[in-house]
Amino acid sequence: MAAIVEGNGLTKHFGTGDATVVAIDSVDIAIEERELVMIMGDSGCGKTTLISLLGCILTPDAGQIRIDGEQIDPEAQDMSVIRREKIGFVFQLFHLLPYLTALENVIVAMDLAQTKTDEAESRATELLTQVGLSERLHHRPAQLSGGEKQRVSFARALANRPKVIFADEPTANLDSRQSDNLMSLIQELRQEYQTTVAIVTHHEGLRKNADRIIQMKDGRIIPA
Amino acid sequence: MKTLFLKDMRYRQARVVLTALGITVLISLILLLGGIMNGMRIQARQYVESTGVDLWISAEGSGGAFIGFSLVVEEYMAFLNAGQGLVPNSASPLVFAQARPNVRGKSTKAIVVGYKLGQLGGPKRAIEGRMFTPSNFKDYRPEDPVPYEVVVDEKMGLEIGEQITLGDEKVRVVGKTSSLMFVLDTPLLFMDVRIAQKLLLGNTPHVNMMVAKVNENFPVPEVATQYDEYETIETRTLQQTVGNIIEYYVDEPMKAVQFLRVMLWLAAGILVGMITYVTMLEKTQEIGVLKAIGAANMYVMSLLLKQVALMSAVGVMLGLVLSYVFAVAAPIFVAINFVESIIVASISFIVCCGSGYLAARKAITVDPMIAFRGEI
Repeated sequence: MAAIVEGNGLTKHFGTGDATVVAIDSVDIAIEERELVMIMGDSGCGKTTLISLLGCILTPDAGQIRIDGEQIDPEAQDMSVIRREKIGFVFQLFHLLPYLTALENVIVAMDLAQTKTDEAESRATELLTQVGLSERLHHRPAQLSGGEKQRVSFARALANRPKVIFADEPTANLDSRQSDNLMSLIQELRQEYQTTVAIVTHHEGLRKNADRIIQMKDGRIIPA
Repeated sequence: MKTLFLKDMRYRQARVVLTALGITVLISLILLLGGIMNGMRIQARQYVESTGVDLWISAEGSGGAFIGFSLVVEEYMAFLNAGQGLVPNSASPLVFAQARPNVRGKSTKAIVVGYKLGQLGGPKRAIEGRMFTPSNFKDYRPEDPVPYEVVVDEKMGLEIGEQITLGDEKVRVVGKTSSLMFVLDTPLLFMDVRIAQKLLLGNTPHVNMMVAKVNENFPVPEVATQYDEYETIETRTLQQTVGNIIEYYVDEPMKAVQFLRVMLWLAAGILVGMITYVTMLEKTQEIGVLKAIGAANMYVMSLLLKQVALMSAVGVMLGLVLSYVFAVAAPIFVAINFVESIIVASISFIVCCGSGYLAARKAITVDPMIAFRGEI
């Protein structure tokens, strides 16, 4: 299988002078199509920074990124276009817009990609039905449980049919039953949408769900 | 989602409503202050223009009629009437002086206008009752009795036959004129020039000014210049007099109000800017998330700007409506000029949107990395 996301010699520093921290140190990484990888490691080892680089949220100080065969040039390209067309994000704290319903939170992602309203509404309804929230379409985030919010978050990430979804600690705020349900759902949706998923977690119990584990330490990838 | 900004505004409705109300109050204040000044300008010219006088003649050094202290002697009338360019015998004496008559037991502000009935300087007929009885001006002797009668502005609410006290004398209301208020709703009391001299000028044969009509074959400015060359008097045309009154009674004293209006504009701008900035700070996480999921800078910016524009538009429109309501209810004459109010409203809208834009520009700088931290 071909690599859908590739990073070569990725390096990222934060701070300046004596306070400089090397968050990512010459990392080479490739995530293949339809793969479910888990990026694991201790807190502060650079997991989130790595997916931020691969997800075109951060710009690397050195190194190159390819997504879906396309070389990313942060100077010449509009990163927001790449983020909305090729990448989906799921955040640890869900980050749903509080004034929108579950349905509208999914539609808003498609609105950014200028999908027609009718089409966006029907696809959002379909996605939310698939994640088991057909009865909760018109509920606001405050009316949903943590597990339900994370399902909406996944539906939003899938809205524009991205090549890859990056999930940052998606189960950190869920109990074990909700975590298991969410992982089953991710497996299901991955198969159905043929999407690549990269999950940052330090939840050892999730290992069994991964096709591959990428272990990190001090900004580098180490043998798992 | 075209209504995203509306949903956000509904979610933060308390802040939105308070901001719009803040703008409403500020805009209505700006318009009302403008309306008060406009009302003063209208009233400043009402009386002067109603007289049909072409030339206003005051004592040298007074700066013009109605401006500085001016006392002229009656003898000037003969000299004026003998001069060239005036309608024969149109030169007439006029007393125009602030007074505090006691009306129904209450000291009230008013302006006494003493003139010769049938001559220039005051109304020729009353709309109710009758005009005051004229005195014999030419052969007047100080000991001669004078008719203590006055014709008042209809808005004073006095009845025919009622008495008011001016100085130590009781003056009887014999007629009413249609409203001719002076600046700041000051009512005019029309009476014979002799009574005005007796009550306000120590019963001396002085007046505050002379007024005259220019013969239609002569250009008014030239005749005014010709008389102004005499060392003892100053002569102004109607246009110059109106200009002097507006400058002296309205523009000069109202400089502070003009400054206040600019400050209020600034306050409206700062209010919107601050609210937008605080909203932006509060929404930093949300903006970060929107950017992380692919929102372009312009999308984020337009979300905030639509909110700013809507809040400003509602605030300004309500301010506009409210100013007209307040103008009707105000205890003084307020004349809001429609065209001016539209211009003021437009400028206010631009000021509010401009300051909102400056604050919203910060939203572009929000780092989408923030989406990985904290809660919305």
